[in-house]
Amino acid sequence: MKSSRWLSAYAVGVYAFLHVPLLVLAAFSFNASKFTVWQGFSLEWYRLAFANDVLVESAWNSLWIALASTAIATTAGTLCAYGLWKRKAPILAGSLYLSLVTPEIVTGVSLLALYQWIFRFLRLQLGMHTVILAHVAFCLAYVVITVIARLRTFDASLEEAAMDLGATEWQAFRLVTLPAILPGVIAAALLAFTVSIDDYVITSLVAGVDSETLPMVVYQMARRGVSPVVNAISTLLVLFLGILIVASERLQQRT
Amino acid sequence: MNRLRTWFLAPARTLNFVFFLVPLAIILAYSLMSRGIYGGVEMPWTFESYQRLFDPLYGGILMRSFAISLLSTVLCLVLGYPLALFIARSGARRNLYLNLVMLPFWTSFLVRTYAWMFLLRDTGLINTVLLAMGVIREPLPLLYNDGAVVLGLVYGYLPFMVLPLYTTLERLDKSLFEAAADLGARPFVAFVQVMLPLSMPGIRAGSILVFISCIGAYLTPDLLGGSKTIMIGNVVQNQFTGARDWPFGAACSLVLMALVMILLKLFLRKGEDQLL
Amino acid sequence: MNRRLFFLSMTGLAGCTRGPVRARLNVMNWGDYIAPSVLTDFEREYGVKVRYGTYENNEEMFGKVMSGNSGWDVVFPTQNRIAPMRELGLLAPLNSRKLPGLSNLFPRFQHAPWDPSLEWCVPYMWTTTGLAYNRVKYPVQPSSWADLWDERAKGKLTMLDDVDDVFGAALAKLGYAYNSAHPDELRKAQVEVIAQKRLVRAYLSTEARDQMVAGDVLVAQTFATTAQLAIDGNEDLVYVHPKEPFPVYCDCAVVLHESKRSDLAHLFLDFLLRPAVSATIARATRTATPNEKAFESLPDVERANRTLYPTSEVLDRAEWPLPLPAEIVRLRDRLWTEVKSA
Repeated sequence: MKSSRWLSAYAVGVYAFLHVPLLVLAAFSFNASKFTVWQGFSLEWYRLAFANDVLVESAWNSLWIALASTAIATTAGTLCAYGLWKRKAPILAGSLYLSLVTPEIVTGVSLLALYQWIFRFLRLQLGMHTVILAHVAFCLAYVVITVIARLRTFDASLEEAAMDLGATEWQAFRLVTLPAILPGVIAAALLAFTVSIDDYVITSLVAGVDSETLPMVVYQMARRGVSPVVNAISTLLVLFLGILIVASERLQQRT
Repeated sequence: MNRLRTWFLAPARTLNFVFFLVPLAIILAYSLMSRGIYGGVEMPWTFESYQRLFDPLYGGILMRSFAISLLSTVLCLVLGYPLALFIARSGARRNLYLNLVMLPFWTSFLVRTYAWMFLLRDTGLINTVLLAMGVIREPLPLLYNDGAVVLGLVYGYLPFMVLPLYTTLERLDKSLFEAAADLGARPFVAFVQVMLPLSMPGIRAGSILVFISCIGAYLTPDLLGGSKTIMIGNVVQNQFTGARDWPFGAACSLVLMALVMILLKLFLRKGEDQLL
Repeated sequence: MNRRLFFLSMTGLAGCTRGPVRARLNVMNWGDYIAPSVLTDFEREYGVKVRYGTYENNEEMFGKVMSGNSGWDVVFPTQNRIAPMRELGLLAPLNSRKLPGLSNLFPRFQHAPWDPSLEWCVPYMWTTTGLAYNRVKYPVQPSSWADLWDERAKGKLTMLDDVDDVFGAALAKLGYAYNSAHPDELRKAQVEVIAQKRLVRAYLSTEARDQMVAGDVLVAQTFATTAQLAIDGNEDLVYVHPKEPFPVYCDCAVVLHESKRSDLAHLFLDFLLRPAVSATIARATRTATPNEKAFESLPDVERANRTLYPTSEVLDRAEWPLPLPAEIVRLRDRLWTEVKSA
C-alpha cells in the first residue's frame, strides 16, 4: 500500500521527536564548551559531577531508598497480587488502582499531612524513613499489576496438583507458583526500583534534612539554568534506568 | 485456607490503608478547616477554601489546566494515532517498535523535561541553529510559556496514548478494510467510517490516561512554564510549602482527585479499566 | 527468593540507619550566599560535618521550619521575619557570652532596630533590592520601579520570586510605602502586579543570575548581591537603585529552638563573625558585610563598590522593611497566590 510509505516516514519522524532530545542532551554532555557551540570532546562535566559531594551523597540516598522501598513493595505487592488473583477483593483492588491514577502532587501533600499529623504525637522528623514509606505507597500498585499480569499466564491447576499431592497452600505458593512467576516478580521489582529512583514530586515534599535524593539535586540545578553537569548526570541516569527497564521487559516476556 | 489468603493481602492492605487512604482522609478534613495564622490548620470548620476555588481569579487556574490538558491530549491523539497504526501493521518487528516508544517514557521524567529546557532556551540548540541559518535575527522566546508546557506534556505522555491505541488497532480485523475497499470505499472514507469507530475504545483509554496525567502535572509547568504558566498541581505544591495555606491546598487537591475520578467513571466502560 | 528479598531489605534498612561519623550541623541559607571554603574551614577546625541546604525566599524557609521539627539547626531569615518566628517559638535565644565576635559588627548592626541587644539573631550580610539591566542589549536606561512595567521589557524581564519585593515595587510605583501594611494599597498593588505579569519572563530570585549572564534576561529586579555576581560574569550588566524607595535587607543567622546542637550552632555563628571569614564570604558572594573589622580589611576597590555599598544619600531613600501583622501576612500570601494563578 502506498500509504504505508507515508506511514513509515511519519513513524520515523515521531521516533525522532521522542528520542532526539535525549540524544542531544547526551551529545552535549561531552561538549568541551558550556555553550551550545561544539568545541571538542571532553569528559570534564562527568568528572565534575563525580566530584560534587552533594550530588554523590544524593545518589547514594536515592539508591538506598530505592532498594529499601523496592524490597518492601515487591514483597507486599507479590503477596497481594497472589491474594487478589485467587480471591476477589474489590475494595483493595479499587484502592490500589486509585493510587495509580492519583496525581503525584496529591499523593505527596497527603503524605506530608499524614506525617506532620503523626509527628505531633511521636517525636520524629521527616527523613529517610518517611521517604521510603512514601515510595512503598506508590510503588505497590505497580508491583501488583505486573505480578498479576504474570499470574494470569500461570496455570492454576499446577498448584492444585501440588496440593492434591499433600502440600499446604503456603508450600504450594512457595515451591510451585513463586518460582514460576519469578521473572514477573523480578520485573516488578525492577519497575518499582526505576519508579522510586526517578521520583521527584513526592520525595521533595516528604524528604528531610538528611534525605536529599538525586532528582531533588538535579531539579535544583536545573532551576538555575542549563548546565553541562546536569547534562552529564542526566545521561548517566537515563542510561542506568534504561538498562533496568530493558531487563524488566525481557523478564516479562520470558515464558 | 481463606485465612492464608487474608494474610497474603494483609501487608498490602495495611500499607495502602495507612499510607494512601488515611492521608486522603486527612486532606479531606484539612480542606474543611481554616488556615492558621502563619500556616498549618486550625478550627473552625468552614467551606471557605472551596468557595475560593470557584472564585474567578482561581477558577482561571482550573480553566487553564483544563485547556492545556485538553490541547495536549488532542495533540497526542493526532500525533500518536498514525504511529500506533504503523506499529500495528509492522508485523514481526512490532515489539521492537513498541519498546522504542515506551523506553523513553520509563526513563527519568525530570531529565526528559530538562531536555526541552536545554533545547528551547534563548541560547539553546533550536535558537542557535535557526540563528546560524539566518532564519531568524533574534532568538525566539520558546521557553517559559504555555506552548512550552504543552510541548513538554505531549512529549512526556505520547507513549500513554500510543500503547492503548496500538492494542486496539492491532486487534482489528484486517478483512473489514478489504471488504470496505471491495465495496468501493476510498481509503479516507474507509478510515473515517470503519477504522475510527472501531478504534474508539483505544482512543478513549489513551485520551483518558493522557488527560489525567496532564491535569495533575507539576514538573512540566514548573520547569518549562517559568512559574508563570501554572497549573493546579503547582498551586497545590505552593500552598503546602511557601504560601502555607494548607486548607486551600487540600481543597485544590480534592477537586483534582474528584476530576480524575469523574473522568475515569464517565469515559472508561466496564472492562476497559481492568488492570487489576 | 525469600532469602534474597530478606537480604535486600536488610541492606536497605541498614543503609538508612548508618549513623553520623562526626557531629553534624544542618545549616540552611539563601542560594549563592556563602563561600564553600568557609564551610570546609569550619569543618576542619572543629572536626564536624556541615550539611548545607539552600532556599530561594523566606517563605520557602518558613514553610520548612514552621513545623518545629524540620531538622535544621541554623537558618538565615531576613530581619523582618525574625519577630514572627520568635512569636511562634521557633527561635532559640542566643547566648552572647558564646559570641565574642559580636563586637566586630558595625555599631548600627550591634544595636539593630529589629533586635537591639541581638538576643535572637546575628546579622550576617546585608543587601538592597534594585534594578539590574544589560546596558548594551537593552534599549532603555531604567531608573525607577515604574520602568519595569515598560512594554519593551516583555519576555526579557524577571522579577524576584518574593511577594515582598514584587508587591513592594508595585506599591512604590503607585507612590505608597514599599512595605505598606494597608489592605487597600496592597490590593491596588496586586492589580499592577497582575498587569505586569504578561511582561515577566519568570519569577526568579538567585536563579536569575545565569540567565542574565547568558543574555536571556535583559532587565531584572534583583538583589544587589545577585546583580554583582552577574556583573562579574558579564560586563554589560549594570545595577541601579531606583528613584523611588527601595528596601535594605539584612539577613541574620538564627538558631532554631528545635536544634539539639546549640553549642555547635553558636560556634558556627561566632565563626561567621570572624573578620576574615566575613570578608571572605562578602567577597565570594559579592554582598555587603555588617562586620566593621571585615569591611576595613577589604581592598579599597571593594569598599568603593557602589552596587554593594551605596552612598549615604542613596541609602537615605532606602527603607528597612519591618515585620507585618499576621493578618496582613495572610492577605499578602493570598494575593500572591492569586497573582501566580492569574
